[in-house]
Amino acid sequence: MDSRETIKYLCSLSKLEITEEELVKYELQIEGIIKYLDKLDSITLSDIEPISQERNSYQLREDNAKSSRTDLLEYTINKEGRFIKGARIT
Amino acid sequence: MSKLYERSANEINAGIRGGEFTAEEYIHQILERIDKVNPKVNAVICTDRKGALEKARLVDKKIREDEKIGPLAGIAVGIKDNICTRDLKTTCASKMLQEYIPPYDATVVRRLKDDDAIIIGKLNLDEFAMGSSTEFSSFGPTINPWNTDYVAGGSSGGSAASVAASECPVSLGSDTGGSIRCPASFCSVVGLKPTYGHVSRFGLIPYANSLEQIGPIGKTVSDVVMIMKTIAGADDKDQTVQVTYRTPDYTLSSNEKMRIGLVRELTEGAEPEISKQIYSAMDLFTNLDCKCEEVSMDYVEYALSSYYTIALAEASSNLSRYDNIRYGFNFAPDGYEWNAYFAKIRSNFGDEVKRRIIVGTYVLSSAYYGKYYLKAQKIRTMLKQELRSLFKKYDILIAPTMPILPFKFGEKIDDPIKMFMIDIDTVIANLAGVPAITVPAGFSNDLPIGLQMIAGEFQEQKLFNAALLFESKTNIDRNPEL
Repeated sequence: MDSRETIKYLCSLSKLEITEEELVKYELQIEGIIKYLDKLDSITLSDIEPISQERNSYQLREDNAKSSRTDLLEYTINKEGRFIKGARIT
Repeated sequence: MSKLYERSANEINAGIRGGEFTAEEYIHQILERIDKVNPKVNAVICTDRKGALEKARLVDKKIREDEKIGPLAGIAVGIKDNICTRDLKTTCASKMLQEYIPPYDATVVRRLKDDDAIIIGKLNLDEFAMGSSTEFSSFGPTINPWNTDYVAGGSSGGSAASVAASECPVSLGSDTGGSIRCPASFCSVVGLKPTYGHVSRFGLIPYANSLEQIGPIGKTVSDVVMIMKTIAGADDKDQTVQVTYRTPDYTLSSNEKMRIGLVRELTEGAEPEISKQIYSAMDLFTNLDCKCEEVSMDYVEYALSSYYTIALAEASSNLSRYDNIRYGFNFAPDGYEWNAYFAKIRSNFGDEVKRRIIVGTYVLSSAYYGKYYLKAQKIRTMLKQELRSLFKKYDILIAPTMPILPFKFGEKIDDPIKMFMIDIDTVIANLAGVPAITVPAGFSNDLPIGLQMIAGEFQEQKLFNAALLFESKTNIDRNPEL
C-alpha cells in the first residue's frame, strides 16, 4: 500500500483536510493499525453468517404523524429565518 | 450536616426524604466540593450551578408541600458530555461541537430529571468517546484521583473520576469497547455496561451504534442498580431497545450460589498482580459455595481486531455528519465553496478521531469490505455463539477488567496499537452485546484493580447478585484522599 497516496485518497473520501505534518505523523500509525487489523486474515469463516446484533422482533410504531415539540433549529448558529445557511455548491 | 458529598446516592435520597437535610444544602456542598477538587482532577467540564440549585429548590418545595417525589429525589448526577442535555452545552470534548447546545434531552437524562435527580454538570471524555485514557479531550486530560501522575482511564474518565473524587455520587458514562468499565476500574468504582438494547441511546451522540450503551457509575453496586432502574427500559425513540418493560425490577439479594467461569486467556494475559487478584476472587467465591472453574474461549484472540474494525468503520460513518451546518461552532460559510468549507471545518477533529475516520473509511471501501468489516462481523457471530453456550453452564464469567494497572500520562498516546491493546478484556462484551460490570478488587502499588463480571443477555440481575456478594465480602477503598 502506498501509504501517503492512500491516506490522501481516504481523506478526500471522508472530506478531511490534513496538513503535511499530520500526514507524516499519521502515516506509520495508520499503517500499524491496518497491519494489526490484518489479524482477521488468519482465520477463515466462509460458512458463517455475519451478525451485528440480533433482535427477536422488530416492532414498528403505527404510521401516524406525531408532531415534535422540539425546535431543532433553536440553537443553530448560521440561520436566516427558517433556512440554514450553507457554503456555496459549485 | 457536613461532608454530605461523601454519602452514597441511596443515603442522600433517604436523608432528604427523612428531612435530615435539604436538597439545596446538599447541592451547595456538592458545588463546593467540585470547586475544591476539580482543579486537581479535571473531571467536570461544565458545572450547571443555576440548573442544579433550581432543581434542588424544586425538590425541597415538593417535599415541603407533601407532593410526590421521584425515586432519585435530590441525588446529584454527572452526565458524560456526549449525552445531550437540553440547553446545556454538549461538546463531546471536541472543537467540532465546542458551541453545541442541544435543544433536547437524551432519554436517559429526561428519565433522571423526571425521577427528580439533580444534574450537576457535564463530564470529561476522550473526544467523541474515542480513547481509553481521556487524554484525547480538548479540555485536557482527566487525572486519576488516586495518583495525579496517572490517567483516569477512558473514554468516560470524567464520569469515573468525578464519582471517585466525590464530586457526585453517581454518573452516566457510555461504553463502546470498555469506556465505562476501564475508567471505573482505574478509579476504583463500580461501572456497568448494560446489555445492548437495554438502555435507550436516543440523545447519545453516536460513535459506533452497534456497540455502545449508556450505563451508570457509582461507588457502590446498589447505587448503580438505583440509577439503572431509572434509565433502562423501552423507549419509542430508540428502536434498538429490545425490552418491553419500562422499569426493570432488580433486587439487592446477595445469597446466590452461583456457577462461575474464569476466562483463562484474559486472566493469564493480564499483569501478574492483576491475575493474582482475579484468582483470589475466584477463591473467595469458591469459599462461599459457588461452583468455580476455569474456562477457555477460542475467539478471544480475534476480538480486538474485530472490535476496532467495526468501531472505526461505524465511526467514520457517524462522524460524516459534522459539517458545521446544523450544529458545531461559529464559523460562517460565507465566501466558501462547499468541499473546501467541509474539509476546513473537519480539520477541527483531534488526531485520534482523524486516524479513526481514515482507517474506518479504508475498511469500508469496496476493495476491503469483505476482508475487514464482513470478517469482523463473522467473528462477532462466533463470539456470541461461544458466550451463549458458556452461559448455559455458568451464571457469570469473571476476568480482569483491564490487563494492566493505570498508566502514566503520555505513556501510550503516540502508539495507537499500544492504546488499543488495553481494551482486550472489555471489547468482548460489546461485540456480543452482553452486560458486564466492574467492581473494585484491590490495589497494587496503590493503583486500583477491577474485577469484571460478564453475564448473558439481559441477565444484569446475575451481575448484581455476584457483584453485591463480592462487595459485601471485601472492603476495597473507594475514597482517594484529595
